[in-house]
Amino acid sequence: MIKLLNITKIYNPDVRALDQVSLHIKPGEFISIVGQSGTGKTTMVKVLIGEEKIDQGKILVGGWDITNIGQREVPYLRRQIGVIFQDFKLLPKKNLAENVAFALQVCGQTPKKIHSIVPHVMKIVGLEDKQLRYPHEVSGGEQQRAAIARALVHRPKILLADEPTGNLDSINANEVIDLLLRINKFGTTVVLVTHNREIVNKLKRRVVTLDDGRIVNDQAVGKYML
Amino acid sequence: MFLLSTLRIIKFSLQDIIRNIWLSIVTITILILALFSINMLLVVRVISQTAIDAIKDKVDVSLYLKPETEEDKIMALKAKVSNLNEVKEVTYISKAEALEFFREKNKNNPEILQALRELGKNPLTPSLVIKPKNTESVNELINSLNNIEDEIIESRNFTDHKLMLNKINSITNKVNEVGMLVSLIFIFTTLLVVYNAIRVAIYTHRKEINIMKLVGASNPFVYMPFLLSGLIYTFVGIMVIVVVFYPFLGLLQPYLEAFFIGYNVNIVSYFNANFIKIFGLEFIGVALINILASFIAVRKYAKV
Repeated sequence: MIKLLNITKIYNPDVRALDQVSLHIKPGEFISIVGQSGTGKTTMVKVLIGEEKIDQGKILVGGWDITNIGQREVPYLRRQIGVIFQDFKLLPKKNLAENVAFALQVCGQTPKKIHSIVPHVMKIVGLEDKQLRYPHEVSGGEQQRAAIARALVHRPKILLADEPTGNLDSINANEVIDLLLRINKFGTTVVLVTHNREIVNKLKRRVVTLDDGRIVNDQAVGKYML
Repeated sequence: MFLLSTLRIIKFSLQDIIRNIWLSIVTITILILALFSINMLLVVRVISQTAIDAIKDKVDVSLYLKPETEEDKIMALKAKVSNLNEVKEVTYISKAEALEFFREKNKNNPEILQALRELGKNPLTPSLVIKPKNTESVNELINSLNNIEDEIIESRNFTDHKLMLNKINSITNKVNEVGMLVSLIFIFTTLLVVYNAIRVAIYTHRKEINIMKLVGASNPFVYMPFLLSGLIYTFVGIMVIVVVFYPFLGLLQPYLEAFFIGYNVNIVSYFNANFIKIFGLEFIGVALINILASFIAVRKYAKV
């Protein structure tokens, strides 16, 4: 599903955020990418969604070589990958349902389809009663669930979660992780980027450890080790 | 698909205006103030041009005729002078009329009136008052008058006129040049204010622009609602300025009429006659600035 082949990303003047990283993520996998701050985790997310360009190597996403993806193609890439962020990144002037619907509107989906899909997805994430609330009117955990709904709504094959529990308390964090596990059960490849040791150790899934921009550990049923 | 996207863009734009109502009001207010300034500048230009025209209209040249000249010879000379290219109008002032004007002019000066009574007869001569088509051609007019040979002409000393007219032309030209320069600086400043107002409005949306790009929105999908919002602000601004400015002109008009007695200065009529030109150009100018500002600002904040 995702292939990173000897990718290197250098920030000026000579900071190697990613250094000769090779990684293959299979369809339907649940993989955690862990490491301390500054080890290249977020950079990996950025290169996967076309926000940054790599300096060496190759990236394949679902068979599509996005190494030298043009600016005009980036939106199409992002419509195929669901992404959730630590700071939720919900549009503050749209209610939760409108935030979820926005992901379909950018794809040109018809209003009729949107009206049938959005309530269904909101139900999956447990927010069917809060569709008309605005982000500032709901809790952090609910905002993150709305963000997950938005990421899922166009049925991506891949879900990238960049520190999704970073701003949440442990109860909400666990709820979000449970939701990700359920999504993974339906066949979506989930890439969880985190530095939360407890969550990773509880998951008992594949763990890839980054240190100083390099993969130092890759275990099928791993633990957070540094 | 295109229609659907267009309708969505319109919807997002209107939603954004309403859901950020205070930002919208502030932006429109800045536009209105800018447009008010530009229209005031126009009023000042119209008034100054009227003042200049009033001064220039006062400029005339007089040919003094021999006292006992027959009317028909005077009329013949009048017709000859009227045919000159530089002449706008020729008025014949008879001896009696000249005396009447003199008495009126000096009605508060009893010594002069007493002297006139003691004289016993009308010392004034008939004259032809010649108005030029424009002050720039007065020198040519004076040259033409100097070339007219007619025995009924008593005096034609135009030297002082030439000096005075050159001075008037010089001053009015300078006033026009300075006025133009000041207007250009003012307009440029106003457009900068509008440009920044739009950029600030979009700056407050930078996080949203960022999020929209991360979710997969294309550049036009991100940019077009802001562009449309800018055009809506412009349209509303123009509508408000039309509603507000006309009553202001109505209040100003009586003062202008009182100041420019005898001159047909009607600022309301001027704006009516040039309504499409004035407000149309303002709409186009501000709209273009809006488009430019929106485009530059969104590009800056959409680098994700």
